[in-house]
Amino acid sequence: MAVVRYIAGRLAFLVPQIIGIVLVSFLLIKAVPGDPATLMLGPMATPQTIAELRAQLGLDKPLPVQFLIYVDKLAHGNLGTSWQTTKPVLDDLRVRFPATLELVTYGMLLALAIGIPLGVASALGKRGPLAKLGGFYGLVAGALPDFWLALILIYIFYSLLGWVASPIGRIDVTVTTPHMITGFYTIDSLLTGNWAAFRSSVHHLILPVLTLGLVNAGPILKMTQATMERTLEADFSLYGRLCGLPEKLVIRRAFRNALPSVITIVSVLYGFLIGGAVLIEIVFSWGGAGQYAVQGVLNSDFNPVLGFVIFSALFSLVVYLIVDLIYLAIDPRIRR
Amino acid sequence: MRPVPLTSPGGPTAPAGRRTLGAKVKFATRYFLRLLRTHPSYAAGYVIVTVVVLVAIAAPVIAPYSPITADPSVYLQSPSLAHPFGTDNTGMDVLSRVIYAPRIDLAIAVIGTAISAIIGTLLGAWVGYFQGTPGIRNIASGTTMRAADVLQAFPVFVFAIALVAVFGQSINSVIFAIAFVNIPIYLRLMRSQVLSIRRMRYVEAAFVSGMPDRFIIRDHIVPNAIGPVLAQLSVNIGWSILLTAGLSFVGAGVRAPTPEWGAMIATGFPNVMTGQWWPSVFPGLALAVTVYGFALIGTSIEFMADPRRRRTLAAAQVSA
Amino acid sequence: MTEAMRGEAQSLVTRANIRQGNPASAGRASAASEGPAVIDVRDLEVAYYVYGAEPTRALRNVSVRLRPGEILGLVGESGAGKTTLARAIMRVVPRPGRIERGEIFFMGTDLGAMSEAELSKLRGRDLAMIVANPRGELNPLLRIGPQIATIAEVHLGVSRKRGLEMALDMLRAVAIPDPERRLRAYPHELSGGMAQRIVIAMALICGPRFVISDDATSGLDVTVQAQVLDLLRKLVREQNTSMLYITRDIGVAANFCDRVDIIYKGEIVEDAPTEAFFSGPAHPYSNFLFAAFSHNAELRRRWMGSAPSPESDAAEALCLYADRCVKRQVRCLAEHPALRELAAGRLARCHFPVER
Repeated sequence: MAVVRYIAGRLAFLVPQIIGIVLVSFLLIKAVPGDPATLMLGPMATPQTIAELRAQLGLDKPLPVQFLIYVDKLAHGNLGTSWQTTKPVLDDLRVRFPATLELVTYGMLLALAIGIPLGVASALGKRGPLAKLGGFYGLVAGALPDFWLALILIYIFYSLLGWVASPIGRIDVTVTTPHMITGFYTIDSLLTGNWAAFRSSVHHLILPVLTLGLVNAGPILKMTQATMERTLEADFSLYGRLCGLPEKLVIRRAFRNALPSVITIVSVLYGFLIGGAVLIEIVFSWGGAGQYAVQGVLNSDFNPVLGFVIFSALFSLVVYLIVDLIYLAIDPRIRR
Repeated sequence: MRPVPLTSPGGPTAPAGRRTLGAKVKFATRYFLRLLRTHPSYAAGYVIVTVVVLVAIAAPVIAPYSPITADPSVYLQSPSLAHPFGTDNTGMDVLSRVIYAPRIDLAIAVIGTAISAIIGTLLGAWVGYFQGTPGIRNIASGTTMRAADVLQAFPVFVFAIALVAVFGQSINSVIFAIAFVNIPIYLRLMRSQVLSIRRMRYVEAAFVSGMPDRFIIRDHIVPNAIGPVLAQLSVNIGWSILLTAGLSFVGAGVRAPTPEWGAMIATGFPNVMTGQWWPSVFPGLALAVTVYGFALIGTSIEFMADPRRRRTLAAAQVSA
Repeated sequence: MTEAMRGEAQSLVTRANIRQGNPASAGRASAASEGPAVIDVRDLEVAYYVYGAEPTRALRNVSVRLRPGEILGLVGESGAGKTTLARAIMRVVPRPGRIERGEIFFMGTDLGAMSEAELSKLRGRDLAMIVANPRGELNPLLRIGPQIATIAEVHLGVSRKRGLEMALDMLRAVAIPDPERRLRAYPHELSGGMAQRIVIAMALICGPRFVISDDATSGLDVTVQAQVLDLLRKLVREQNTSMLYITRDIGVAANFCDRVDIIYKGEIVEDAPTEAFFSGPAHPYSNFLFAAFSHNAELRRRWMGSAPSPESDAAEALCLYADRCVKRQVRCLAEHPALRELAAGRLARCHFPVER
């Protein structure tokens, strides 16, 4: 029961936050100079047709009314249409959000696979070479511009060695895209037995995932190292050693006590990357949601931007909820 | 039987009281130098940043070519004696542009971060100090924090691009965007610092003994809270450089031909695919090294602000 | 030795014997003194290295012997080196401390010559430690039962099921109410006194030969403290365990220990059987501690020295207590006193021990 109440409290807290986010993004996007009607109709449009289109889009109404209209549509699951793709934003995002999610999820998994072992190892050998390597890696990974690292990887693995597919898109143009089930090409192609699509999509994932993994392993490593150092020196670890518990067990318990912090940083990174992987999406022409939103901003196409912001806020919400549930499972002190 | 008088066996004792400012500075300097000796990488951080700053200042003297003049006759030449970093696809000298770029990148990052740090820490100190006290100030504190929540829930990059789009593509807009997205960081940092310091016994004691707010803030809160803020400042400058470059990379920041690392990487992007790596690699390298330098300085400040680590340093020195 | 003091001492010892419910405590101590040493610390020196200063000598030439079943009280003020001695015996001196010199023998084997792996087999099995601040010593994420049981599993090779049974027995032994439920409790659900008992259970589950209690009961309420002490003594006597009982409270030492060592600035200044000690401490510092505890204003006035002056411990040659000593003589400033035998089993580090 406590769990349900906990989640309900969380939700109650987040609803006003989402409304605030929508409001701010609405105002922000409205402040971007440039008139969608003019842009849509092109330079040859007459003032009259522009005025007609503006009226049709509701752009002639006062700002508060426009906002209310938008919220009303939103409540009915209508995110508007993008004038660039001329499709409903919801349909666009249904394809593009999973694209981003697939990229970011694999990137996070790789980052975890690099960051946690290195972080633990450097916490253990406090003054040893591994700790130095860990410290160095943590700082360097934080200093590397991800879009630049992506270019370097493209240069080495595509231009020089030719090991991977051309770094454009999620799948070769010659391969039929798998029927959409989850929106993850790798999973959908496996589910439908489309091996060509699976191979191609894995090939296309390698470089962007490598980039995201290498860069984001930095903060995970640092957090793991810092918390592990703390838990390894905590009184209970010292007492465990005093009781003659084997070092392996002491380390395992210290890691367990460090887990909440690690999970926190992972969730923050995961939420951040939905929008933060934009540059990688652009480099690899990924066609993901972030790229969609950036193009929207640059072209006064505001429905995609709002749609993206709402989607990523909801995503963060889900991630944080899951994290809270994990906390509940591993830390008895929260359960009261 | 009376005890015999005690003569001090040691030398003359130091005069009681506070250490003089001179002595404090001397001690701090000695400590700082020791830190750099025991942690050579920190020293590297200070060297990197100093070099970058000096290069930026002396750019007109050092740079072999004009950073914005294209010479189409030598476009896309690989690194050579005449052009150590090669030339880009319009024939501009990459080295000269890399040398000039920190003028823009550093200026944007430093000014943007400074603005956000000043606004953020002041707001944060205010919110932290008055949060929980009854009255209008408490409500204002709560509202500020909720506003920060909303701002931080935004995808940073999309938000920054939108800000630049709103205010028109210029260096000032980029500075503004960077300042804006960073304010919540300092707000939160300072607030949590102040909140925890306020709960310390000695601050409560000062409260109880009727010290005015401004003395408490000056003597206890500021000196104790400032370390993490300074460390964050350095790390944040590096991060802002990355953000500036990223904005320019997507075309929402500094525009060509102004020499800027991110824009240069973007210009060289198509060439990388075809094998001409130099127009992108060199500016990226300069960018990464600079950010790395700031990160190192941040770590060193964090180290110095943490008394526990200071003791470890002493111990490490002995066993070394 | 004044009349007032003799009276104080007598009443302390009497109280001790009554509480112990065993009038033959002196007999026990002498019986214990015949066995071989369980723990034998010889000339131990530990120093802390702090930057910007000479290394602080936390322990100077400390020698301590404990016989089977003996409870030795180690009494001294904060910073005297009590905890350092405890950690040194367990061979876990915290940074930036280092063992400079000296040997520690457990049942005749030199702990200093053992590998970390060998040591960790001894720790918790034969050498146990009970610490203060028990809640910090328990892992907040694990239930009490498994935390206790793990120690038995590791050292005695028993199954998890058997380990939990042993843990349950230990919880009963340390008189925890509703032990079945407590096995499934988390540390934050326990009171301080309860957590202290859990730590005692963890320390004693393997039936160690030697236990250190480092100021373990000082954080508890007086009533709880008395309970815990009684319990501790009962368990230690049942298992014939030797115990180093570290405390700042000389009164508790009087009630609880067979023998008392007084430590001052890292030096043992007096070593005596409890009864002999409390019938008349020999070292001026012991007298001072005693007077401070007695709440007798006249006594305190008599033994209270001047406040310690920080610069005085620089010189090696003099008595470390000289700066505070009310019986200071010229010789005390010129010569460092050795630990001398005053009577059988009674040692004091003073040129002018208090005669009686």
